[in-house]
Amino acid sequence: MSDFSIIGKRTAMVDAAGKTTGAGKYTDDLTLPGMLIGKILHSPFPHARIKRIDSSRARALEGVVAIVTGKDAPNPYGILPVGHDEHALALDKVRYVGDNVACVAAISEAIAENALELIDVEYEVLPAYFDPEESMKAETDLIHENKLHNIEKDYHHVFGDPEKAFGEADYVAEGRFIANEVTHAAMEPHSTLAAFEIDSHTGKPGRLTVWSSTQVPYYLQHKLSLVLDMPMAQIRVIKPLVGGGFGGKSEVIPLEIIAAIAARAAKAPVKITYTREEVFWAHRGRPRSIIDLKTAVKKDGAITAVKARVVQDGGAYCSYGVVTILYSGALLGALYDIPNIQYDGYRVLTNKPACGAMRGHGTVNVRFAFESQLDEIAARLNLDPAEIRRRNLLKPPCVTINGLRVQSYGLPECIQQVVERSRWKQRKGQLGKASGLGIACSHYVSGAANSIIRSDMPHSTVNIKIDRDGGVVVYTGASEIGQGSDTMTAQIAAETLGCSLGRVKVVAADTDLTPIDIGSYSSRVTFMAGNATLRAAEQVKKQIASAAARKMNCAPEDVVFREDKVFRKGDTQGQSPTPLEPTQAAVSVSGRVEGQILRGSLQQKRKEEGQKYFLTFEEAVVAAIDFHGALTGTGSYAPPPEARGGKHKGAGVGPSPAYSYSAQVAEVSVDEDTGEVTVHKVWAAHDCGRALNPVSVEGQIIGSVWMGMGQALEEEMVWKDGMLMNPGLLEYRSPSSTESPEVEPIIVESVDPEGPFGAKECSEGSLAATIPAIANAIYDAVGIRLHESPFTPERVLAALRARKGAKPINLTEGVDPTAPRRFREHGGALWFRGKGPERHPLDPARREAADAGGDD
Amino acid sequence: MSLPEFRLLRPSTVEEAVRYLSQHAGNIRVLAGGTDLIPSMRQRLFEPEYVLDIRHIGELKGIRQGAEVEIGALTSLTVIEHSEFLRRHYPVLAEAASTVASPLLRNMGTIGGNICLVTWRKGCGFCIKKDGDLCHVAPGGSKCWAVFSGDTPPALLCLDAHIEIASSAGLRRIPLREFYTGIGDSYRRLEANELVTRIFLPAASADYRGIYRKLRIRGSIDYPLAGVAVVLKRSNGHVKDARLAITAVNPAPMLIKAAPQMLEGKAVDTNLAEAVGDLAAKTAKPLTTSALTPEYRREMIRVFTKRAVLAAANN
Repeated sequence: MSDFSIIGKRTAMVDAAGKTTGAGKYTDDLTLPGMLIGKILHSPFPHARIKRIDSSRARALEGVVAIVTGKDAPNPYGILPVGHDEHALALDKVRYVGDNVACVAAISEAIAENALELIDVEYEVLPAYFDPEESMKAETDLIHENKLHNIEKDYHHVFGDPEKAFGEADYVAEGRFIANEVTHAAMEPHSTLAAFEIDSHTGKPGRLTVWSSTQVPYYLQHKLSLVLDMPMAQIRVIKPLVGGGFGGKSEVIPLEIIAAIAARAAKAPVKITYTREEVFWAHRGRPRSIIDLKTAVKKDGAITAVKARVVQDGGAYCSYGVVTILYSGALLGALYDIPNIQYDGYRVLTNKPACGAMRGHGTVNVRFAFESQLDEIAARLNLDPAEIRRRNLLKPPCVTINGLRVQSYGLPECIQQVVERSRWKQRKGQLGKASGLGIACSHYVSGAANSIIRSDMPHSTVNIKIDRDGGVVVYTGASEIGQGSDTMTAQIAAETLGCSLGRVKVVAADTDLTPIDIGSYSSRVTFMAGNATLRAAEQVKKQIASAAARKMNCAPEDVVFREDKVFRKGDTQGQSPTPLEPTQAAVSVSGRVEGQILRGSLQQKRKEEGQKYFLTFEEAVVAAIDFHGALTGTGSYAPPPEARGGKHKGAGVGPSPAYSYSAQVAEVSVDEDTGEVTVHKVWAAHDCGRALNPVSVEGQIIGSVWMGMGQALEEEMVWKDGMLMNPGLLEYRSPSSTESPEVEPIIVESVDPEGPFGAKECSEGSLAATIPAIANAIYDAVGIRLHESPFTPERVLAALRARKGAKPINLTEGVDPTAPRRFREHGGALWFRGKGPERHPLDPARREAADAGGDD
Repeated sequence: MSLPEFRLLRPSTVEEAVRYLSQHAGNIRVLAGGTDLIPSMRQRLFEPEYVLDIRHIGELKGIRQGAEVEIGALTSLTVIEHSEFLRRHYPVLAEAASTVASPLLRNMGTIGGNICLVTWRKGCGFCIKKDGDLCHVAPGGSKCWAVFSGDTPPALLCLDAHIEIASSAGLRRIPLREFYTGIGDSYRRLEANELVTRIFLPAASADYRGIYRKLRIRGSIDYPLAGVAVVLKRSNGHVKDARLAITAVNPAPMLIKAAPQMLEGKAVDTNLAEAVGDLAAKTAKPLTTSALTPEYRREMIRVFTKRAVLAAANN
């Protein structure tokens, strides 16, 4: 690593000062002269036909400038080309409580809010579907007319011969796992400011500029063009600072289009910022998943087959759903060596806010099920849980049975690291009463090898401009959302050009200025935009090198760039025989340079000074501009064809140029009287290829573990007849600092052959391991298997009681004498009429006392 | 959400404050710490024409020791939490105060506000308590079951606290246990022209061992999903006097009336503590919320009571 001067160094984020001092500007901080505030009217019904909207009373309110409804922009859209099922504002039907009906643009927030109450909407209420397994039986009142049985999409994959493998297995584990619905809860609520310029020729609204809290400016530009019927070239999307996305801003959220529709109608800039309640309705989080999982093993623990049936409660629109359900199946592969896989995935529509992409997209819930079941198998076979994982490692480079190419593979070292650091061998099973250790692994893509827009265009393109001032400007469409995108870009450019970080300015995520990058999602930025930056920098570097080589009388290949100097290979600046002291040289030359030196005088100067042994970065840049004219470089990245996966239907999702790997050990204790689980420490090893900025990698690992712990223990969206019962950060309980465990991040570097400087993803992969690591630690502590997340105290206590044969805790029937039939459905859906849906025989909440702990 | 428009009144004496209250009775809300009032107003639970900002009434701040202890209603929860005097002599109150919400909210929130706490959120649509006719937790019923979720009242009930209530007619003083009605939408006996001004802790309640146990999902921020306060005095290893109260499982914080007899004169052991726990659990009537089932919360009243009684008797 000593080869690098910037890469691998602990580097403060380039945008840290603005964020920490409050000087940084997020979308909601922006204002424009004459700007109006937009407020959206939401549906109070989960499923209803809109018969009539009368906004005349609202229009009459003083201060109201415009009111728009579905017919003001009737074109459908959706993030996936196969899922154009949304309208910015409902056209004829609303499909969830919170669906968008109308928008008021007014001179103040209070007036806009008051106006909402004056809009009269007549609804015809339709039967609604809240439970995915019920929804799949639907014949009438379908949520979308063209989706039979309310199934958005189903996939049925068979790789190898799973039936045969199950037949020949020594042991088969089978179970139903449920992971309840969670959402991103990013700190910054969604916000969009939209402004039209008046066209000088027509006098009508012309070019549109949109500032928005988005992870995907380019997709937003594209969808705006679609819905507003405008050419993309007339639309500029700018991403200011974003206060966290986690996938919730990785697609076009209704307000982003509604703001533009309202601005067009009002002929004035319109800003909309969601309330927290609206953020919950916009959602696009991780769907509640019902996972029926079956794993076949040999006596030695070798996995011979996996069969998974996954039903995802997708909510009312497609969103990323087709991708989510495919990831759930595809990433059964590429972690362990599994020769036979059967996967049946169902993405189901229900009358609730749409689910979408969330950190660890599609993989997290299935990984919880798989790693839990693997732990059960280890216990059954009397194998150490770390050892059973070692026995199923891949042997890269390889292509998995489902077509995923794996090259760098740091999983073995990750396992070794967490086992050593947690003193697993000495402490597992030895921690005493009600305390335990659990291990689990996970992995994730470094960007999707196939983009969601079916096109051969590069996934990332980066331009670099260097001028006579020696400043390096990098133009990238990659979106900084707090994950360190801008810092990574600056680091790669500076390392490649051998210049200091302070010399590099990153201009990012402005569709007028920056070339296309498909956005910040699926952990693709470092790998793809990083590679594009590297290539752009190398292109400029080549131009500088050829000019510098002439000055130093050497071959361009022998020119070395380092620490703001350019010198000949073999010479180091310290031993340079040049008569000039380096700093003097910089001063004297830049004093004369300043954009004035002509080629002739430069040649004269060279003649005077004779051959140079090194140049300052500025000198080299000036020389290059003098020789080549403008100094610009461009680089792009498209994943190689061999990384793009198989040919089967749905094969496009899952392949990635590289996979990250994680292993974690969690240490927990359980209060056996209350069921409360305390996580004391998590050792988290993550193979990120190469840590370009170790402090940033550690932050991402810690954040992933923390977010995973939230899903494991506390976070759960609770529904009642399609109404979200906890749409606020008071009742949707993300962990607070007091119950956050110590996390020991361990960086493992497998140096990927295709990653920029060997780097892979580090922002998502760790999350999925945390949930099963905690589940397995709970088993080690108190001997219960939890098949439903989150592991709230009541679920833990119910399982403990069942195991001991003690008085059961009833998690479903109510105790309120005025409503004896009240039923709290798993997943928190509260059913008030009747008893709710019949439970599946394997449902975790239905397990009888006898078999609750008896899986080994 | 924008804050609805209102006129802000800022009295500097209790007399001035209660005069405003009489003038605008029914159309005015009192702002002490604001941690509940401001969010509730943003959610349109209240849209009063006047807001009475009593934060400048200096005489209502602070803890005074005399024949009895007097705590001004405007005393912040942080001050109560860190008061050396209360920690030594009335530890259950300091402990309960220390569990309210988060440090930032305790800096703003007051003891008077915590006693008068309205725990209701628009979150999922209106209900009987405001504008609606539907009860989310007991459908079909017409009684409001809105739960009371203050942390300090069970501690104050155990300490036999009294409160002073001011109005233009003068001052009246009642035991805190008579303040709560047990009906969700009219949960306290406080007329529209009245203001809670002081809390009194009798000297006789001093130096009890005290424990407050709070059920919550997170280690901070959360309201209690169940809460148990116990105070206990021993003599020769036996219980001389004890009191027990629960919160967040009924529309009012409640003293468990039969608990003192059960404990008095006895040496506390696990069986006795369990019996007291059963008694408390029987009194609890938890209803559905967005977190944790009623049955579990009732169970935790049992467990927490047992633990609190054992801890208070043995520490």
